[in-house]
Amino acid sequence: MNLEIAEWAKCLLCGHFVTLIIGIVALNFVANRLKSGTAFLFVCINALITGYLAVQALVNGNFEVQLWGGQFIGMVPFRVDGLSAWFILIVNFASITGCMYGIGYLKPYNSTNKVINFHWSLFMIFQASMTWVCMIQNSMAFLIVWEIMSVSSMLLVIFEHTNVKVLKAGMNYLVQMHISVVLLTIAFLWVYYKTGSFDFNSISAFFSTNVNIGLFLVFFVGFGFKAGFIGLHTWLPHAHPAAPSHVSGVMSGVIVKMGIYGIFRIITFLKSDFVVIGEILISVSVLTGLVGIMKASVNKDFKRMLAYCTIENIGIIGLGMGIGLIGLGTHQVYFAFLGFAGALLHILNHSLFKSLLFFSSGSVYQQTHTRDMEKLGGLIKNMPHTAGIFLIGSIAIAGIPPFNGFISEFLIYSGLLNGLNFHSNAIITLLILSIASLSLIGGISILTFTKTFGTIFLGTPRTSLHNTPREVPFKMRFPLYLTILAMLSIAFVPGFFIRMATLVLKGAFPALTLINVNTFKYVEILQNISLYSFVFLIIVMLVFLLRKISVKNREIAESSTWGCGYVAPTPKIQYTGKSFSKPFAKLFSFVLLEKKEYSELSNEEIFPKDKKYNSFYTDFFEEKIINPITYYLINFINLFKFIQNGKVQTYIIYGIIFILFLIIGTVFQMLT
Amino acid sequence: MLSFILIIIAGLFFTGIVIRTKSIAAGRKGPDVFQPLRDVARLFKKGTVYSETTSFIFKIAPVVYFSSVVMASLTLPLGGTKGFISFDGDFIFFAYILALGKFFNIISALDTGSSFEGMGASREALYSMFAEPAFFILLGSFALLTGNTSFFDIFGSLYLGSYTIYAIAVMATFVLVMIAMVENSRMPVDDPKTHLELTMIHEVMVLDNSGFDLGLIQSAGYLKFAIYGSLIANLFISGLSLPVAIVSFLGIQFAFAVAVGIIESFMARFRMGHNAQFILALSSVSLLIFFGVLLVLGKLA
Repeated sequence: MNLEIAEWAKCLLCGHFVTLIIGIVALNFVANRLKSGTAFLFVCINALITGYLAVQALVNGNFEVQLWGGQFIGMVPFRVDGLSAWFILIVNFASITGCMYGIGYLKPYNSTNKVINFHWSLFMIFQASMTWVCMIQNSMAFLIVWEIMSVSSMLLVIFEHTNVKVLKAGMNYLVQMHISVVLLTIAFLWVYYKTGSFDFNSISAFFSTNVNIGLFLVFFVGFGFKAGFIGLHTWLPHAHPAAPSHVSGVMSGVIVKMGIYGIFRIITFLKSDFVVIGEILISVSVLTGLVGIMKASVNKDFKRMLAYCTIENIGIIGLGMGIGLIGLGTHQVYFAFLGFAGALLHILNHSLFKSLLFFSSGSVYQQTHTRDMEKLGGLIKNMPHTAGIFLIGSIAIAGIPPFNGFISEFLIYSGLLNGLNFHSNAIITLLILSIASLSLIGGISILTFTKTFGTIFLGTPRTSLHNTPREVPFKMRFPLYLTILAMLSIAFVPGFFIRMATLVLKGAFPALTLINVNTFKYVEILQNISLYSFVFLIIVMLVFLLRKISVKNREIAESSTWGCGYVAPTPKIQYTGKSFSKPFAKLFSFVLLEKKEYSELSNEEIFPKDKKYNSFYTDFFEEKIINPITYYLINFINLFKFIQNGKVQTYIIYGIIFILFLIIGTVFQMLT
Repeated sequence: MLSFILIIIAGLFFTGIVIRTKSIAAGRKGPDVFQPLRDVARLFKKGTVYSETTSFIFKIAPVVYFSSVVMASLTLPLGGTKGFISFDGDFIFFAYILALGKFFNIISALDTGSSFEGMGASREALYSMFAEPAFFILLGSFALLTGNTSFFDIFGSLYLGSYTIYAIAVMATFVLVMIAMVENSRMPVDDPKTHLELTMIHEVMVLDNSGFDLGLIQSAGYLKFAIYGSLIANLFISGLSLPVAIVSFLGIQFAFAVAVGIIESFMARFRMGHNAQFILALSSVSLLIFFGVLLVLGKLA
């Protein structure tokens, strides 16, 4: 343990709390137009402080700081190791770009003093609480900061609190997060009951003496709510579209990852049952990935589409972690390494391209005031930069080279392929099916993102909007360019990032300390891949140059799109997003439940009136599992409604009965 | 590099051979094998018409598509000689770089704002998506069989010894031929010679491309055929000496082209709705290969 760093870190952490409070107070005193700038400043300061700690942990090794956390909790250990550092850096980057983007995004709201104040204060608390979650290793304190994180993010989601739908989404999120907290509390209490300590180290002690799988599953479900594993995901597609875009970018980019952080942290404590847990995790993750991307492919609300796509990516991350677990269980360190490193890199990658996509779709929303892609079209002519940014995000998220998504997916694929030399047929079959599913997920994401990009940005406008959309100012695009830069650095210098990931993993898993990253062939392969991506770009440029030269003296004409001889084309004859994904939706109609709302033509209706037709896809899990359960639960609880009936007389009777019970009890000495 | 040059050579004549086979099978006189080359050469010399609806996507898409196919062909080995690009897991790169080309092809079709092209784009996205798992299960099974994960090592250590492996090779050939048909939008899935926009897949996507761009798309199509042909050829030519390997490579490409011509002559296109099932069936054949591999390795005792 580095004592000097620890002392220094103690000061920094205290400074971190102080700057947070100063920031919140300062917000109240600056002029409205400077508020977002002030918030940005403090977000940056906090990011610098926690980021510095994280870098220290990565470079100089773990350190621990004890801070007094009140009478009840006592000393709270703040431990920063590689794993925390990795997540802290991701949180900070996403928060900074989110805040920078938010300055421009929230400009129209600058006149609403209170809301803006509250919003930016919450944003700072939100960022700080996420970094605390990564550091605090005392269950009680952890649950408190976890709660601060959930509540602050929920309040950020309901920015447009006057909208009933937004409020409902916020409530839904809050309730689900509390089910998660209940499970986490149960898990922590279980550990406390067995070991008598709230320190995270006791979880490790618990695992070494007890059956692992039970406690892990409780933790998994608890954290899984946050991460959005399938079945526990239903808050995501409601909350993400409801939030303002810079918040949904950060939420989707990092808050979901806090659930992953929790699971990762618990995995580092595991002592046995690795293979079973790995198999469960892989199965759940593959399902998560498939269902997530299928739902994404049919959604016409582009922010909801992105939310479902987040679920898909959580599946990919979970798949990597499952591979790592099986590797740990079978003592194949390189196999484990490929899985965990793939998961870590995918966490980083996803936080980048998902916030990029959310921000750029936020720009579209700001200009068009609709989230329905069927109402848009041809925006590439009005907003060429935003279109380009969205295109880059789409290619990256589909895992296609030359962008960063391919790097992490390649690691996970390699992990799966390397696992094929196991002796167990069950594992081999699972891995082969995972490979097939991962490739299917890749295919469906191409369908999803070509559809989304094509419908929003290409073709001609489908409806006339109130204002002509214009390109968003440079100030709002700048954070997106920064994100793209980060993405490209991962794509073209993967060696650096995989070395970082190795540091993290060596710190987290003692079994992986044997790995020598310099002789590990996959580091070289990743470097080669980026070289080949570069070669590819050169080929593209050469062909483009060739095209330019050869086209130079040719006749270039402009004409209307080929309409098969039809002379009165309208924008309405374009293929819609819905029709684009319809054949796919039809094939998977057992998961993608389509609902249609329309009124039949009645017999008396001689002259048909104007009719409305609406069709949409419902969430299989929400519709078939969650809603029925809630319905029966509410029905059951309604049986007891008569107790709380609102009549004062009845309540007095309850009081009298209780007092009588006390008196009789005392008289007959039944209460002792 | 050798394999790259051979793939180019094979690609030059592939479509010509297919067309020639078809005309012989139909009893027509037909064009000679150089006709597709002349078509492309003429396209390269022509001017271009752009739709007013299109943007820069439409202009760069054919370039990206063509480059992706070239890049993919660089990964393929030839028997005992490595391809230009060879590393563990290069077939993932191969599949994903082809996907990049597909991505741009699809959005360039959507860029025209045409109802037909959107339809083609939708079908292309759907069918090529279903072809992916079959390809990955197939290569995954080979990885399991040989213990290697790059094209070169997989094909290099794939010795046709026992009967089961012959069965596997036959099934693998079937899967690869069918994937080639899907990816190149040929007969049982798509009919390149159909004359109704509603029934096309690939052809309808490029309705608005003309001149140099169309030439690029066409030549990428020719190359793509040769790429899948060389995948099939590589199944059989491991362990042969270089001259023999080159001859048999070209021979297998020729046989593949003739087979495509014959399939196209004697089969009708499937109903659009049935295509998806057909392509999914490919994945199950791939799974059969997987179980065959388990059998060979003695894991299913």
